[in-house]
Amino acid sequence: MAFTNRLRSFIIIGLLPALTIYLLFVIVPILWSAYYGFFDWKGIGAARFIGLDNYAEALKDPIFWRALKNNLIIVAASILGQLPIALLLSLILRKSTLFHRFVRSAVFMPMVVSSIVIGLIWGYIYHPQIGILNVLLEQIGLSSWIRDWLGDPSINMYSVSAPVIWANIGPYLIIFLSAIQNISSDVEEAAKIDGAIKGKWLYLIVIPMIWDTIKVAIVLCISGSLKAFDLIFVMTGGGPAQSTELLATYMYNNTFEIYRYGYGSAVSTLIIIISMILVLGSQVLMRKRGME
Amino acid sequence: MKKKTLAITACTTAMTLLLAACGGGNTGNSGTAEEGNKAGTASPKIKLSIWHNFSGDDLRAKAVRAQIDKFKAEHPEIQLDAQAIPPDGYRQRLKTVAAADEMPDVFFTQSGTSIKEFYDGGLIQPITSLLDEHPEWKNNFIPGSLDTLSFNGEVYATPLSGSATSFLFYNKSLFEKYNVKVPTTWDEMMTAVKTFNDNKITPISLGNKASWLAQSSIISSLADRVTGTDWFKKAVNQDGAKFTDPEFVQALTYFKQLSDAKAFQPGFNSLDNTQMEQYFVEGKAAMMIDGAWALTNMAASGTEEQLNQVDVTILPSVPGGKGDPKSMSGGSGGGLALSKRATGDQLKAALELIYTVSGPDAMKAIAGSNSIVTYNVDLDESQVMPLFYKAYNLYKSVKLTPVYDAYLTSSATEAVNNGLQELSMGGKPEDIAKKIQDAQARDLGK
Repeated sequence: MAFTNRLRSFIIIGLLPALTIYLLFVIVPILWSAYYGFFDWKGIGAARFIGLDNYAEALKDPIFWRALKNNLIIVAASILGQLPIALLLSLILRKSTLFHRFVRSAVFMPMVVSSIVIGLIWGYIYHPQIGILNVLLEQIGLSSWIRDWLGDPSINMYSVSAPVIWANIGPYLIIFLSAIQNISSDVEEAAKIDGAIKGKWLYLIVIPMIWDTIKVAIVLCISGSLKAFDLIFVMTGGGPAQSTELLATYMYNNTFEIYRYGYGSAVSTLIIIISMILVLGSQVLMRKRGME
Repeated sequence: MKKKTLAITACTTAMTLLLAACGGGNTGNSGTAEEGNKAGTASPKIKLSIWHNFSGDDLRAKAVRAQIDKFKAEHPEIQLDAQAIPPDGYRQRLKTVAAADEMPDVFFTQSGTSIKEFYDGGLIQPITSLLDEHPEWKNNFIPGSLDTLSFNGEVYATPLSGSATSFLFYNKSLFEKYNVKVPTTWDEMMTAVKTFNDNKITPISLGNKASWLAQSSIISSLADRVTGTDWFKKAVNQDGAKFTDPEFVQALTYFKQLSDAKAFQPGFNSLDNTQMEQYFVEGKAAMMIDGAWALTNMAASGTEEQLNQVDVTILPSVPGGKGDPKSMSGGSGGGLALSKRATGDQLKAALELIYTVSGPDAMKAIAGSNSIVTYNVDLDESQVMPLFYKAYNLYKSVKLTPVYDAYLTSSATEAVNNGLQELSMGGKPEDIAKKIQDAQARDLGK
């Protein structure tokens, strides 16, 4: 009894530093920001308490909903783009030959490049005059496909999704690789004897066995995409005419361009609430599927 | 055993505090390390901090930085912490430290709305006494140039430069080649646009990715020609005029006409200011509507041959406009403001610093760097670029009208910026006028 008590106090002491830092630098700022959301505050001068007005205004602003819709496009592009590609690559690149390792590092490379650099590179790829994409299209005789990729509001959300997918495959590849390597070779051999090859093996063995990992990856994907900011901020800044506005750029522009700190705080609180709803919702959906 | 637990607790607590200190300390004063080193030497130094956005490699930035270095050399007793912050993120950083109440002692701020926000927040103090001490400096400013930096009869900063946001630059060779008249009326403008388009030359170079450009350079001047300055000032105060008034909608319609006539190069909403200037100077576009900053930028990126083709004038007049067509949007640029917290010796040092960086000598140096100043200097024609000399004389000969973002509130400016992009993508002038009106009215609480 004395031993377990001592163990418990040791665990508490061990957790204390991490917990304190977490509370101080994550929870407190979130609460703080939610609190500022109740004020009409320009960042300078007196703040005026206005209750829920900021929150109501955000929910009434069509741009807020457009930003949410754009964010959901990014979420969908990430889940439907990053995860399947990462899964496929992890199946293909399982072996440890030089070639496989080289391709793996190539896929992982964007992760170690600053997102500003990625944004600039893709900005140049999409450049309306000297962009490599338009030049390429022209050379292969598809001049009719030439677009102002980042300026045309009917397509620019999809244009900015491509680099977001491209840049973030790396970590999921690693996660899936390690999960697949954890499938015991006994299972693999048994499946082979039972005639599960290629597609069947993927659907009947791999996916069910790494399902928990996929769930984690989906949650990471959703939360990562809702935080999306840097790449798009560099490429378009949310423009033109707010057509690529995301929740995070909307919050940034309101806080640091228009200097409505109170409103920006309210929007960031809403972002947290929306993220929680989406993450919890996806958990509930996947739990159901897991039970079937 | 108990002792051990205690030791661990002490250890972890100490570590937590240490980490916390690391996290919080970054934003604070960066001078602490130096302070420690210098504590041993004799008299305590006066500490002074200055923030400015003259971080670039252009002549003007170098001229301003040279003045700061001069101050450093002349005043070894002052420990000056000078921070040059790139212009793009400058306002944001300044506002962030303002929100945290950690303002530098002296800082560069734009005129108009920007400095007014600091004034309204009670963060700055006047420098009128400094001007009174140096009458030869005070009296040489061009009349009215201190207005957008003064409140309640007190001057809070003097302009480091003059802003002229709306020159119409044009390529002489292209106009001659296609036999086009340099437009002085709106019809001539539209004819020129059509002729250049027919010949597969971009009529007007524009790079509106950052979205303030069409507002500062095009609509500020164009709308003033339509509505007149009085209307604008009334609309800004929401006193007897609204942005939904037909004259303003008409001004937006003119801009839409340009865009509909494909006056700008393809993809102009995803190009930036630098790219637009290069496009023009390389001779790919016949015209460009840009501010005085284009002069130094073009001088840096264009060859002499390319620059010789460039000439400068003002925007054309519009039919039935209420504003003076011999005008250009512009006024005083920003200046160095003084934090309210500076007192005693520090205040004296800060005033001295302001005088060194924005006083008569500095004005001469800045004018010599191909930058417009609102101060009487004898400009030596041989020392500056010929195009600059021409633009400077043009600037002095026309009436200056308000630049929109110096007068509108931040949200209304943002509404104009986004609205012009929307217009060029097919938006309706009436809808955009309403958004601008709503933003301005809400900010003024009307």
